[in-house]
Amino acid sequence: MLGAAATWTLPVFLEKTFVTLDAMAADTLTQTVTGKDGTILIVVQMAGGNDGLNTVVPYADDAYYRVRPRLGLLADKILKIDNYCGLNGKLTGLKSLFDEGHVAIVHGVGYPNPDRSHFRSTEIWQTGSDSNRNEANGWLGRYFDNCCSGVDPTVGVAIGDEMPQAFSAKSPTGVTFSRPEQFLWRLSEPEKGYRSAEEDFFRQLNGSDEESAAGVTDGAAIGALSAKTKSNLSTMDFLQRTALDAQLSSDKILAIARKYKSSVSYPQGHLGSSLNIIARMIAGGLPTRVYYATQGGFDTHAGQMNAHERLMGNFNEAVNAFVADLKQQGNFERVLLMTFSEFGRRVAENANGGTDHGAAAPMFVLGGAVKPGLFGKYPSLVDLDHGDLKFNTDFRSVYGTLLDRWLKAPSEKVLGRKFRALAIV
Amino acid sequence: MSEFNKAQHVAGRVYDLVRQKHSAASICRRPSHGSNVRGVKISVLFPLPTQKWNDQTAAHLLNRGAFGGTPGEIEAARKKGLGAMVHELVDANTDAVNVPPPAWAHPQNIRAQRVEINAAKDQGQNSREKAREVHMMETENILDLRCWWLERMMTGQAPLLEKMTLFWHGHFATSVQKVKDAYWMWLQNDTLRRNALGNFATLVRKMSRDPAMMIYLDLHQSRKEHPNENWARELMELFTVGIGNYTEEDVRASARAFTGYRIDYTTQQFRFAPKQQDLGPKTFMGHTWPLNGDNIIDILFQRPACAEFIGRKLWRFFVEDEPSQEIVDDIAGRVRAHNFEMRPLLREIFSSAEFYSERVIQTQIKSPVQYVVQASKLLETALPPPTVTQNAMRQMGQVLFAPMNVKGWDGGKAWITTSTLLFRYNFANYLINGDTMLRHGAPARIENPDPGFRQSVVQRQQLANQIKRDPIDISKFVPNELRDRPRDLVDLLSRRFFQSRPSEREGNTFVQFLESRNPDTSDETMRELVHLMMSTPQFQLA
Repeated sequence: MLGAAATWTLPVFLEKTFVTLDAMAADTLTQTVTGKDGTILIVVQMAGGNDGLNTVVPYADDAYYRVRPRLGLLADKILKIDNYCGLNGKLTGLKSLFDEGHVAIVHGVGYPNPDRSHFRSTEIWQTGSDSNRNEANGWLGRYFDNCCSGVDPTVGVAIGDEMPQAFSAKSPTGVTFSRPEQFLWRLSEPEKGYRSAEEDFFRQLNGSDEESAAGVTDGAAIGALSAKTKSNLSTMDFLQRTALDAQLSSDKILAIARKYKSSVSYPQGHLGSSLNIIARMIAGGLPTRVYYATQGGFDTHAGQMNAHERLMGNFNEAVNAFVADLKQQGNFERVLLMTFSEFGRRVAENANGGTDHGAAAPMFVLGGAVKPGLFGKYPSLVDLDHGDLKFNTDFRSVYGTLLDRWLKAPSEKVLGRKFRALAIV
Repeated sequence: MSEFNKAQHVAGRVYDLVRQKHSAASICRRPSHGSNVRGVKISVLFPLPTQKWNDQTAAHLLNRGAFGGTPGEIEAARKKGLGAMVHELVDANTDAVNVPPPAWAHPQNIRAQRVEINAAKDQGQNSREKAREVHMMETENILDLRCWWLERMMTGQAPLLEKMTLFWHGHFATSVQKVKDAYWMWLQNDTLRRNALGNFATLVRKMSRDPAMMIYLDLHQSRKEHPNENWARELMELFTVGIGNYTEEDVRASARAFTGYRIDYTTQQFRFAPKQQDLGPKTFMGHTWPLNGDNIIDILFQRPACAEFIGRKLWRFFVEDEPSQEIVDDIAGRVRAHNFEMRPLLREIFSSAEFYSERVIQTQIKSPVQYVVQASKLLETALPPPTVTQNAMRQMGQVLFAPMNVKGWDGGKAWITTSTLLFRYNFANYLINGDTMLRHGAPARIENPDPGFRQSVVQRQQLANQIKRDPIDISKFVPNELRDRPRDLVDLLSRRFFQSRPSEREGNTFVQFLESRNPDTSDETMRELVHLMMSTPQFQLA
């Protein structure tokens, strides 16, 4: 995507390792963490448009092999779920999880009048809007606005450089970082030994030294001090409170990241390291309701076979490690992971051994408390809309179900209207 | 006369008849300060008394009407006087719209690329390879365009013109992520600049014919048989009257009226396709005629909501987040009285006591654009390298030519989250200390390396070059004789960075910091002081 195509992400920029962090002041975790019980939603974005047909494969449909002479996956490599479809051969962990009864697969998810632009369709999924309406705030942002006002800013945590549009809100909340080590104030001259002194001055200026933080940080969540909603504060009060929130969240996230390591080994790659961070935050009891992680590279217009297999393999390993980690922690029952992509891909392969932008695709919902099985109907491979699968489940049915039944938040307030609930949880 | 003009002319003539019946009520006298604006309402904007023109008010005008001033610029502005400064910002430098475009920004450039891609396709060559090349080039061009514009904001002779261009960019938010063409983004920027201080109604008409806008809101694909409602709706909801001031029937009628708008891919300009125009009668806001697009715009500009909508938005951008209804009414009256001309309106705002009131000064959260430009000015240094700037803007939430959505940037408190605030503090460190701040950090030791991190030596070298920046020359604004006088030094730097004295508590903290370093008065310590000053809530305000 043009515009987002910087040649490098900014890891170097704010990076600091735990080696240097540990040289800093002692653990300054001042909060009574309250993140030990509530349910947690993990949203995994498969950016670029994941090929649903080669993810949940209709191996028993001749039409599939007719339009995909090169990209069609052979039936004997499919991890069969029923006598029509099965999982991509790389999704072995997901298959075991499915067999254990922890995965719901929702077929044919999409929305009316699908848009085939990455930018626009991503926006639709992120905001939960109709395709002919523009909505500024994200669906998770509206959840924070409506259902979480005055709570800890770490109620939403996105792993990445840039806040996902799903988080944008009237009063933005939530924390975005690529790695915990980045989420702190960096001193000017760390090598000179003045470190702790300068940081003390910084804390004075930002209201998080012991003197000014006393009294407000006692008790439960940080956000308790934002009893007034942020929009009612004067600009200066708002900035001061955000500065304090930033300091306290940073302290807490760093303390957790330093203290909790996974004994499970995660695969290399962005999704693996993101889920690893998330697992550690969950283990440390960060009071977060929604985590957001991204896996990129799904825009497979050419040479899809190898690229997509690699993506599936990576997704499988990352999720597998994450689930193992959560089980070890005893947190699998209260965590639910949902995948989405801005669209599926064209049913027929193109001349470059790839596929072009499409429409409906399946979603995975998994977790210890998920009601397993196949939901919705696999869309017809011959009754198409401009060469694309027709959706039969609106993506907001999935959002709404998770809001109502998992986050216990009124979905109507967040999505603007009621969508048909699914029995996935 | 072109086909389009002919069609517009005919429909226009019909429509003029309607208009004469309805417009008499909307004609207002030109107001002056303190006069009756809407017949009954007394103006709430009075001129700022001359004796209130001082360093603080001069600094405020430069903060809001430009991108901030250094102490030297503020002093010069104070000496010139309010009238002269307002004149300089609003009326002088009319040539500044004729800015030479970046070298790559000409229509033939993109045309040549398209021809090559198509030729490659025809010859059965790998057109994807070529398309990838073009994509890389476009990525570089848009990066260049972002820095080209920031540079104009920082060093150009017409900062208000650039600030108004930024206002309109947020108003007519258009993203290169959908348009995918840096030339069209430049063309839109040029149109916005040429009309930034001119007439709002004219600008809306030009935007309806702007290729980037047409692509962004699908106007170029709207056909008689299937009118697309995207532009038609946003024209009302976001550009002119605001939500609640139109019906779904109006949206459908507007969509039908805006048919036949196309892009000529030879000239890269707007083209009208009469065959695609729906000339049938439509009912729009109570008027039934064979209305065309320009007629729709004319009707919208007759609605009281239109003046109020743009007046409120301008006041929010330049003055305060939540204006009282009295102020909105006053400004709306002025907008109508000036017939949507921006210059006289801005003159009145910048000359008014209300603009300089205590509840306004130093209460606006700097946008990321303002932050980067103003910080660079105050540090007497250049903008950071392009890729760093672009990444920083992204992390702060404002990428030029790529607003996150069609509604533009909310501004105000929406700029600040725990993450963006911490980022601002850390970015200040880079602005001040350059890439030394990175060298001092321990080498990255990542437990689960991201493939993107395992860069070859060459890539690492490239990266190092992209982020290379020297520490600022602190002696440009920290005189040697003040280095061992903490209180005086803190006062001097507070005037530079906060345009005021700091609160007693903050001031004491800065002084204590210097005293803790005594007798070290090195450049490094001075830079640390500046970093501390910029790592405060106060520095986020303008």
